[in-house]
Amino acid sequence: MTSIDVKNLTKEYAGRRAARAVDGLSFRVEPGRVTGFLGPNGAGKSTTMRLVLGLDRPTSGTATIGGRPYAELDRPLSTVGALLDAQAAHPSRTGRDHLRFLAASNGLPARRVDEVLAETGLEPAARRRIRGYSLGMRQRLGIAAALLGDPRVLMLDEPANGLDPEGIVWIRGLLRRLAAEGRTVLVSSHLMNETATFADHLVVLGRGRLLADVPVREFIDAHSRARVRVRTGDPVRLRATLLAKGWAVGEAPDGEGRWVVEGASAEEIGAVTAREGIPVFELADERASLEQAYLALTSDAAEFTTVSQEV
Amino acid sequence: MSVTTAPASAPAAVRAVTVRSVLHSEWIKIRSVRSSFGSLLAVLVAALGIALAVFPAIGQPEAATGDIDRLYWLYYPMNFVQIAALAFGATAASSEYLNGALRNSLAAVPRRGLFYGAKVAVVAACALVAGVAAGFVMFFTANAFLGEYAVGIGERGALRSCFGAGLYLMLITLFSLGLTFLLRSAVAVLSLLIPFLLLVSFVIGGVSEGAATWLPDRAGQQILFQDPTGPLGPWSGLGVTALSAAAVLLAGWWAVRRRDA
Repeated sequence: MTSIDVKNLTKEYAGRRAARAVDGLSFRVEPGRVTGFLGPNGAGKSTTMRLVLGLDRPTSGTATIGGRPYAELDRPLSTVGALLDAQAAHPSRTGRDHLRFLAASNGLPARRVDEVLAETGLEPAARRRIRGYSLGMRQRLGIAAALLGDPRVLMLDEPANGLDPEGIVWIRGLLRRLAAEGRTVLVSSHLMNETATFADHLVVLGRGRLLADVPVREFIDAHSRARVRVRTGDPVRLRATLLAKGWAVGEAPDGEGRWVVEGASAEEIGAVTAREGIPVFELADERASLEQAYLALTSDAAEFTTVSQEV
Repeated sequence: MSVTTAPASAPAAVRAVTVRSVLHSEWIKIRSVRSSFGSLLAVLVAALGIALAVFPAIGQPEAATGDIDRLYWLYYPMNFVQIAALAFGATAASSEYLNGALRNSLAAVPRRGLFYGAKVAVVAACALVAGVAAGFVMFFTANAFLGEYAVGIGERGALRSCFGAGLYLMLITLFSLGLTFLLRSAVAVLSLLIPFLLLVSFVIGGVSEGAATWLPDRAGQQILFQDPTGPLGPWSGLGVTALSAAAVLLAGWWAVRRRDA
């Protein structure tokens, strides 16, 4: 079992304000499931990944893979496959040569190069220079490099970036499959809805700090309460009836005479209004979106918000 | 060694990243980047091309003046050949700093000493092979047009100069490699070193006294003279170049070891 363990990790950059990119971060990424790594831009996701790979040196704290620091692994590419930045490949190499030098460094057989090229659908472009690759193709090359060593841990920074809709469906399936094979999969994103389509677990960062470490299901249940939107010909009676039944009724902000009932489902409200003979023109479930819940969680911690309070 | 089967069955103690595997990887890197491999070939092309351009016309008249060391005159193309060597060293290092490619390299080879050592070794070996070949190419091409001023390969210092040219080119390449790891930009290094070689060293070198003698390029080129003048002999001169290359490589290593990638 190979998990990623981050303990009290802090990374400070020297500079004008000595900013802390990562601040006392602790969490564990378990095998056998896809962990979504969420946070607004600048929350410290990429920095954390670089610290796990030993590319950046932590100011304090540790990051280990299966209990060992990355730099001490005997078979790095067969232990952790990482996609950090799809642009980080020399443009004048061919995709195939990029994978060849990586494979050679870890003593991986050349046939693995062809296997991952096939798996990521890059075969037709393998002998072309990376200069001419689209963003989506570079992303696929980065994923191919991550899969090269058939690793037990995968760490992918925004893998869906630049992929076309077909590619996005493909990457979801790939992530699910890798987790089902018992691997540890950490995938960063700044989009909650996208992450919810493939993740089992969430680790949410804001300003370098841990905001949440919960199963996706739990996050959804906790943060998206049900509510119903209703339009009626008799608002006074509707309101009185529902208040009497213990529901909170408020005017919908659209100003068109709609009402919002918190904590109710369309079935419940429909049954009540039918029984009472209240005319209803419109009735719809309205789940507060996951994205809204996520925004509420991270808004305090967002580095750049649209409304600046310090002006 | 099976790597595609279930991870649990993999022999955990087998170290996959070995000196040999990393050397192989570094060779693929050089071979697959056009600017690096092209600069390496340019060392040979410049040796032959400049010799063919210069010696048929002014080879004998210049030798006839007797102002110049007989052997050193054969290596006139070195002024240009060494620029190709600089470019090779610089691009071999700078390709790691393009778009953050170093992160890929260090994720694959996390032991930075092994990464840096293998890079230096492969670049040195490539530069030495191309350099020695360029040395012989310059020697024989020039001699073919020099008539009575030709220098035989059996004459005093001749063989030493051919191999010395290769060693000198290797050291200049490593100097450039180390400096590029320190400054992280081939453009910065080349715009620093090329004017230095072409202008500063050339102009001060004309004075040929004092401090100029100890400049890495001046000192190292003593190996190309039949009768070196001044305080440095052929090998002690090359030694000065070797020491300065070693110092710059150490500075480059310090940068690679200390910095965040």
